Amino acid sequence: MIEVKNVTKKYGKAVAVEDISFSINDGEIVGLLGPNGAGKSTTMNILTGYIEQTSGEVTIEGYNTLKKPKKAKMQIGYMPEGVPLYTDLTVKEFVTYMAELKQVDRKVRKEKVEKVIEQTGLKEVENKLTKNLSRGYKQRVSMAGALVGEPKVLILDEPTVGLDPKQITEIRNLIKELGKTHTVILSSHILSEVSQICNKVIIINKGKIVAIDTPENLENKVSNNNCIYITVEDTEGKIETMKDKIKEIKNIQLLQENEDKTKQYLIEADKDVDLRKKIFSEFAKENIAIFEMKKADTTLEDAFMKLIEGGNK
Amino acid sequence: MWAIIKKEFKSYFSSPVGYVFIGLFLIMFSIFFYTDVFYYQSTNFEYIFYSGATILTFITPILTMRTLAEERKSGTEQLLLTAPISITKIVLGKFISATLIVVITELCTFMYFGILSFFGTPHLTTALITLLGFLLLAMSYISFGLLASSITENQIVAGVITIGFFILTWFLPNFSDIFTNFSLINIFANFPSGQIDIADTVTFVTFTIMCILLAIIVMQRRKSVR
Repeated sequence: MIEVKNVTKKYGKAVAVEDISFSINDGEIVGLLGPNGAGKSTTMNILTGYIEQTSGEVTIEGYNTLKKPKKAKMQIGYMPEGVPLYTDLTVKEFVTYMAELKQVDRKVRKEKVEKVIEQTGLKEVENKLTKNLSRGYKQRVSMAGALVGEPKVLILDEPTVGLDPKQITEIRNLIKELGKTHTVILSSHILSEVSQICNKVIIINKGKIVAIDTPENLENKVSNNNCIYITVEDTEGKIETMKDKIKEIKNIQLLQENEDKTKQYLIEADKDVDLRKKIFSEFAKENIAIFEMKKADTTLEDAFMKLIEGGNK
Repeated sequence: MWAIIKKEFKSYFSSPVGYVFIGLFLIMFSIFFYTDVFYYQSTNFEYIFYSGATILTFITPILTMRTLAEERKSGTEQLLLTAPISITKIVLGKFISATLIVVITELCTFMYFGILSFFGTPHLTTALITLLGFLLLAMSYISFGLLASSITENQIVAGVITIGFFILTWFLPNFSDIFTNFSLINIFANFPSGQIDIADTVTFVTFTIMCILLAIIVMQRRKSVR
């Protein structure tokens, strides 16, 4: 359980995060979402105790980060942005050092380090210096460092940045797997990632929380009119008249003209009506050939853009 | 704290730093051993440490400039500061491991004591007192080096600040007598005579504690302004 109450962080007069409050229950995977410079890293740094908030309170598993920093930090495994590693240590030495810093009992240390190395798939490189590893492996070493000592909470700052698609899938699966036994907070600006792995999203913009909800709810909340993307060959230029023929159409907007003389339009209709059937038959009558037709889903991306733009206005 | 000491100590020897420090010191020390003692057919082992202190003035930054600055620059500081360990222990750990390197260096200088014993009878107590004074001087130097390393993320800057400060305190007495007791290297100069001066010892110890405390404060303070 993580509770953040009215946390503000100021640098002189500049405000990095302002009066944010949220709580995260055990076993949740939470995505912290926001444009660059929104305050994601600042929020994470405050949670991990790397920086201190100007005002407000953070409790991790019941321990206040300012009053009981040691106890609070014991609960957290942190993977910082940009995966800083000690380059003169081997993978095994690094993970062992992290275990020592986290005061993992000497008797079980070796075994725990082995386990984490196994879990993150680092067995084959355990004796290599971290500086000689590829980015994907470095990311895993950093993850291993966060995991060792069995913290209840995992905080991952941009865990998939700089990875190739295969590695991204691997890391995502690992996070999903870890989510079963840990509370996970991750930051990202890749929306599809968040909607895939998180069961709660916190959207931050300009240091303020814009929304906290499940990805599905966020999508529904901002779902706008019923939109259809359609690509047609309209030699007679009749498409504008279709608005009168099908009453439910509110707007027809030209998106692009393709080289093969087809045009792509966005058709907006009232909510909760599916016009596809009607369009199909009516357009055929008017001799407009439909090449492609697709219902536009509102994605988390749309939700995000809408919320962020709303905040900027 | 043990984890920090162990790791830091190890990294002095997994990188050239430890070897360069000890090697450089011993090379210079050998030269002075010849010019200051051996050449005059003297057995005053402690005399070499006047020059030894000069060497130390210039090579201490090798040990200290990386310690905190590099952690900050590479971001590994985040790993340290988010681990359940206090800043005091982090700074002390780094201080102790750097001091250990100096202790090793001092132990190495005993071979010169051995050489002198072969030709005559150098005074063991005086030698030990000198080594104690030298260690106190080194601790003061290291603690200042740590402080310099804590205020910047550029290790070169940390190194330059460190040497600059040592040279400044070294020559300050030349400008005015008021500064006589500000010069760390002058304070050390009393030890090779074989006396443990309480005032000198207290000066070194308090200077060391002061620098370490300041380094801790700098680190702590950055937590709220970072």
